[in-house]
Amino acid sequence: MIHRALNIESNDNSLFVTAQCNNKCVMCCQPPTQCDDIEKYFIQNIELIKSAPKGLKNIGITGGEPTLLGDKLFEYIRIIREYLPDTSIHILSNGRIFKDADYTHKLKDAGGEKLFVGVPLHSDFINDHNHIAGAESAYEETITGLYNLASEEICIELRIVINALNYSRLPQMAKFIFKNLTFVSWVALMGMEHIGYAIKNQSTIWIEPEQYSTQLSDATLYLSQVGIPVSIYNVPLCLLDKRIHKYACQSISDWKTLYLDECDKCSVRSDCCGLFATSHRIFKGIKAL
Amino acid sequence: MYNLLPFNFTRLSNSEVLVNELGDMIIAPNGTVDAVVNHSLPSNDLYKTLVANHFIYEGIVPPLIDVYALRLRTKKCFLDDFTSLHIFVLTLRCNQNCVYCQASSQNEDSANCSMSKETMDASIKLMFQSPSKKLTVEFQGGEPSLMLDLIHYAITEIEKVNETEKRTVTYVLCTNCFNLTDGLLELCQKHNVLISTSVDGPEWLHNKNRGRTDSYQRVVANINKARAVLGFDRVSALQTTSELGVNYPLETIDEYVNLGFHSIFIRALNPYGLASQNNDWKQYTERFIEFYKKALDYIVEKNKQGVFFVEEFAVIVLRKILTPFTTGFVDLQSPAGIINSVLVYNYDGYVYASDESRMLAEAKDYTFRLGKATDDYEKIVCGDTAKQCAKVWANECIAGCSDCALKTYCGADPVRNYSTQGDMYGYRPTSLLCKKNKAIIEYIISMIIDRGDEVLPIFRSWLL
Repeated sequence: MIHRALNIESNDNSLFVTAQCNNKCVMCCQPPTQCDDIEKYFIQNIELIKSAPKGLKNIGITGGEPTLLGDKLFEYIRIIREYLPDTSIHILSNGRIFKDADYTHKLKDAGGEKLFVGVPLHSDFINDHNHIAGAESAYEETITGLYNLASEEICIELRIVINALNYSRLPQMAKFIFKNLTFVSWVALMGMEHIGYAIKNQSTIWIEPEQYSTQLSDATLYLSQVGIPVSIYNVPLCLLDKRIHKYACQSISDWKTLYLDECDKCSVRSDCCGLFATSHRIFKGIKAL
Repeated sequence: MYNLLPFNFTRLSNSEVLVNELGDMIIAPNGTVDAVVNHSLPSNDLYKTLVANHFIYEGIVPPLIDVYALRLRTKKCFLDDFTSLHIFVLTLRCNQNCVYCQASSQNEDSANCSMSKETMDASIKLMFQSPSKKLTVEFQGGEPSLMLDLIHYAITEIEKVNETEKRTVTYVLCTNCFNLTDGLLELCQKHNVLISTSVDGPEWLHNKNRGRTDSYQRVVANINKARAVLGFDRVSALQTTSELGVNYPLETIDEYVNLGFHSIFIRALNPYGLASQNNDWKQYTERFIEFYKKALDYIVEKNKQGVFFVEEFAVIVLRKILTPFTTGFVDLQSPAGIINSVLVYNYDGYVYASDESRMLAEAKDYTFRLGKATDDYEKIVCGDTAKQCAKVWANECIAGCSDCALKTYCGADPVRNYSTQGDMYGYRPTSLLCKKNKAIIEYIISMIIDRGDEVLPIFRSWLL
């Protein structure tokens, strides 16, 4: 992981806190390692926090799985709160640890307001979710964790990375979310990055946005119609049905955004997220609009 | 291998409709239920859908059993706070003479049919014993606007008590809008009173039903006056489908749209008061069902043309089908709305289980009289009458309902069973209420099956 100074102009300021994870997602862009790296990153990250610009809007905590830090995660949060009292903290977690209500409560205590937790849901169907997450009890633990986060009134971003194993149930997932996870603050439907495990598993999981266009539109429009805020990340506008353009975000970190030559001719380039420069494969069908 | 969770099913529009205890509905091909119960379901997409929607599960305990429990609690959360709707029948006096009057109203100058201040005091005391944080105070009649002094007295007393009670109190005045005086509107404005009124349909139809030639003109003028003083959306309207009106669904909807309303609550006649003299309820019920279907189709068309207009009964049913939320509508609840959600303080000094219960009392049937307004609260809400009702007020445990696919969308109504069939338990095969509710709910589900892409975006827009 490259460490960059926290930059007030950037849309992506994240602290990488460990490469370890208790899931092994089939499309993981940051494959986990076993090595004990928590202290090493802690020392580096504390320096980053202390030297960060005070007006920083948003700071991410990512990995790996940040909750594997246990109570040390709260130390991070307390230090961020001390040096950057007005900065939102956005934790990316698989959510499993939050099945422990006490741990979830401690997170709320440390983070207070301006705390967001982004949690992935891979499928409404238990076995598909567990298969994609690469862990047996991931589904129940994540769902219970989401309920515990909600009961602490912590903002939840529910993240769905679209892959070949889950795209066909996107509309059903949207319904599942409205019926069973009504409390989430917003849902992010995300295109996949072709890196990490996504390369290794490409024959079973890779899918082109063109192939899931219908399902993505149905799910997006449904969520919007039932009043759940929804955003689309990482899929360029030219690959989305016009009806859902307004839900697409500039989601790709500025330092890894790529536009093709074709994009120079595009009239909506400035609204488009572009492509992952880090992706080893470029989405098919990119064309100027 | 999988296990079953409780669900019921029916067949509609050449499909099987499976509904679980949470109201989650799955439309599946014919033969699905057979495959589910015989454990011959292939592991296909439908299998995944059934698991994800709490119809079947793998393992010993359903992995999401706690989510299931919480969702069931959410669907039944209208019970959490107990009685929230408190109806005060101020008088039987009325200034109109409607052909379908359900409330046995009396002439404007009749004596001995208005509530005394003592009864009002006792009723307010009872109301505040309800644990509900939200109290809706509904003034009814007869025509409550004839009782301006008593309304003023009631609101003053309630506000006084509420200084320490600190409940959220909403006032609703159910009026025919025939004579909204400046004094009354001033009171409504001061205390944020909502006006709930009624227009039957086009001018000629309304006037015919009301037994006056000037009713429509005055009512419409007063609706506009009330909107000007209180705010446009502070005036809502319920419609009642008279035996004549049942022939004019389109005209009735047009009338509501033209009057600037964004919604209509289409209601059938109730078999109480004058209306119970209607000699063929069965025929009326059938005609009403057709009326409702035509009206709902027409409303959907209006919405497709860009007019936002809602049918409120459909909204209640759709909220139950399409969302994880509950509704506060007392006529479609299980356990029933009587006592649990509504109490009626009648002008006669007694407390009744529901609006219909006090209407029965006008025919000298006091079955659902819970006690005197001066009685102890416990005697009223936990007394013998309440106990009798409680045995039969959950459709989960009465024959003909417990195995009905539409159970979670419908409700139990011991008072209606009693008044139309002679006992609180009732008999569903000949119940006209069952027939009506079932036909309407099935029609809404059929629209979802047959025309989902077209109607669902509209229906969802009604639920936001």
